[in-house]
Amino acid sequence: MNDAAQRLGLRLGMPLADARAMYPALAHPGLVAAGDETADRRLLDAVADWCDRYTPLIGLDAPDGLMLDITGCAHLFGGETAMGRDLLARLAREGLHARAAVADTAGCAWAVAHYGDASLVPPQRMRAALAPLPAAALRLAPETVEALAELGLRQVGDLIDLPRAPLAARFGEILVRRLDQALGRLDEPITPRLPLPSYVAEQRFADPIGLERDVLGTIARLAAQLSAAMERRQDGARLLQAVLFRTDNKVYRIEVGTGAPLREASRIVRLFADRLAAIGEACDPGFGFDMVRLAALVTERSEPVQAALAHTGRAAPGEDAELWHLIDRLGARFGPRRVTRLVPQDTHIPEFAVAALPAAARRTNAQQQSASSVLFSPVLEDEAQDRTRDSIGPARPIRLFERPEPVEAIAEVPDGPPARFRWRRVLHVVAIAEGPERIAMEWWRDETGQALTRDYFRVESSDGLRAWLYREGLFGRETPQPRWFLHGLFG
Amino acid sequence: MSAVELSTELSAAGPSAGEPRETLSALRRVMAAVTASRPGEEARLGLGVASLDQALGGGLAGGALHEIGPAAPRDGGAATGFAVALAVLALCEGRQAIWIRSDFAAVEAGELYGPGLALMGLSLQRLVILRVPRPRDGLWAMEEALQCRAAGAVVTELMGTELMGDDGDLTATRRLALAAGAGGGLGLILRHQPCRAPNAAMTRWEVASAGGERDGFGGLALATFAVSLTKNRHGPTGRWRLSWDHHERAFVTAAVVTPAVPAALSLPVAAAPRDRSSRPRPFARAG
Repeated sequence: MNDAAQRLGLRLGMPLADARAMYPALAHPGLVAAGDETADRRLLDAVADWCDRYTPLIGLDAPDGLMLDITGCAHLFGGETAMGRDLLARLAREGLHARAAVADTAGCAWAVAHYGDASLVPPQRMRAALAPLPAAALRLAPETVEALAELGLRQVGDLIDLPRAPLAARFGEILVRRLDQALGRLDEPITPRLPLPSYVAEQRFADPIGLERDVLGTIARLAAQLSAAMERRQDGARLLQAVLFRTDNKVYRIEVGTGAPLREASRIVRLFADRLAAIGEACDPGFGFDMVRLAALVTERSEPVQAALAHTGRAAPGEDAELWHLIDRLGARFGPRRVTRLVPQDTHIPEFAVAALPAAARRTNAQQQSASSVLFSPVLEDEAQDRTRDSIGPARPIRLFERPEPVEAIAEVPDGPPARFRWRRVLHVVAIAEGPERIAMEWWRDETGQALTRDYFRVESSDGLRAWLYREGLFGRETPQPRWFLHGLFG
Repeated sequence: MSAVELSTELSAAGPSAGEPRETLSALRRVMAAVTASRPGEEARLGLGVASLDQALGGGLAGGALHEIGPAAPRDGGAATGFAVALAVLALCEGRQAIWIRSDFAAVEAGELYGPGLALMGLSLQRLVILRVPRPRDGLWAMEEALQCRAAGAVVTELMGTELMGDDGDLTATRRLALAAGAGGGLGLILRHQPCRAPNAAMTRWEVASAGGERDGFGGLALATFAVSLTKNRHGPTGRWRLSWDHHERAFVTAAVVTPAVPAALSLPVAAAPRDRSSRPRPFARAG
């Protein structure tokens, strides 16, 4: 519904047929567009993102409102009235018609913004501001408003002084609660749509900045502020976010995670430099950014380490921190999932025996891992010790193909080792083979019951190639024609 | 240069302190002496085979770049094994190994397999694996990783034609070599294809799988490599047969296929240039 429709006297929620009855011209299909709730929602989210420049605490008031908690923020914008005016002016420049009201309670602000005409309600004047407004201003269901109207209770002022018990009994507890919330007798917290950062630093610019160098320089200054604040409380950041507010009201949020609590400004900047390099074109400065905010979203306690004492012969603590920094930077550049560590798993199926887990998440995983490995799985190193007793060569390959590569192999039936095999079009004559090592699939993982037993052989070809081959299926029992695969290569 | 020497030189410069230019140049001389590279003093990684260590001038140079390639495409496993063995040797001080490879490399040559690496002596708790989307990203990541003092060994797998003799490649490998000097870690370029293009690596190894080693029961014995040192900046080249004893985490006796050049020739032909230090100078990043 646009302004023109409003002037014609159309209302939200009016059936289209009624509107067409009033104005036959609306029958033209081009004049009426179907509402798109997701698009509306997206727009509201975008506006909320943008309002982040005023306060980090923003609640969504679906479908068409936002609640901003500006406690302690207004003075940065020259007071509450100026802030409201600034907000409306900027929205109007984007073609958005909005109404804003500032009050002590969310309920009162909502009522005045929707039904009143004041933009600022001073603390002592809330009752007076609410009294002339219609009952619907209390955020009540339409039925309740109608029921109240039947009793002649059309304005909030009619309700304020009525005895509360009968009111609650007749119209439900919600009416009394809304009244109390609007008048500030009851606390109504705003549910923030984004997590509230523990530490925030921000900088505004009269002239927008656009160069990457300037953005990073700003982040460096902000990082120094954050770092000092975190130092005081001995915190370190695990998740950092830089928010870039573009002059044309687009907002970029750039997040970097860290593997260990971090509060060194220079390292924070390098992380963002890598992240920006990885993002590249997707973060378009356009006409420049007029505000930059740096926030530590997740923090963790980080005790200062005394280098001389903590040095116990293993990696020096400085090196440990450097490694975490390297992992963080590689993660910032390529994505944390690409920086991995191999963690032994509790299974004997070769391809699942290790999992590549993000290195940055290792700290939390390490504890679970150690617990489970004590209970269930033999530690990999011990297992290695056992295996070496039957042969001197390593029992497992150093390279494993994610998809075992099919090979043509000639072998004795039923379960002899391969005599020769053709892999990647090259024929290899087997000089020596060790095996079979029979590995049955785990039935509890096998949903279809189709998985075949594998007989693994370690073979060395006449030209020295050492490979890990397996025959899939037991001859005669599971399959009449077992197939051969090359699964890995030895060093 | 010891602290005592430093102070005497500084005090020698003291009387002329009235002339700042002289003081400055004296300081510069002191700094140049402190930061100059002295070949032979860098950390050397003994490989445990006397003739090989001798050819390398005491062992493989730590804080430097080395290149490993297969002798033939089928020797990819052996080349990987050799790289793993060198990484294990370089990790003795509680540092970490960083292994960098592109997405495609894992499909083509096989994924690194943890249990096998652990058996070779590379503890999984000391290995970080990075997958990069494009091969060129691997070089960036390698430079970053080499500069990190916590990285004892950085292995980068190169699939195809990267660093195979394009114009910029000498610069690129030089950067890697400088980064290795800064961080002190062992930089290993692991190729999937044989390559002989010039670059700034200290040594180049061609590795083939050497069969025929049997244990006491006629079974497969230690992993054995037919290694040929095809480029060596400060010494002779040669060919060796090395077995990797993964229990002791050391190379063991292996027959020398071609003797590593008679002793008379094993003197350096020319002294290593002093001006081209293999230690990094501060250099500005372009852009």
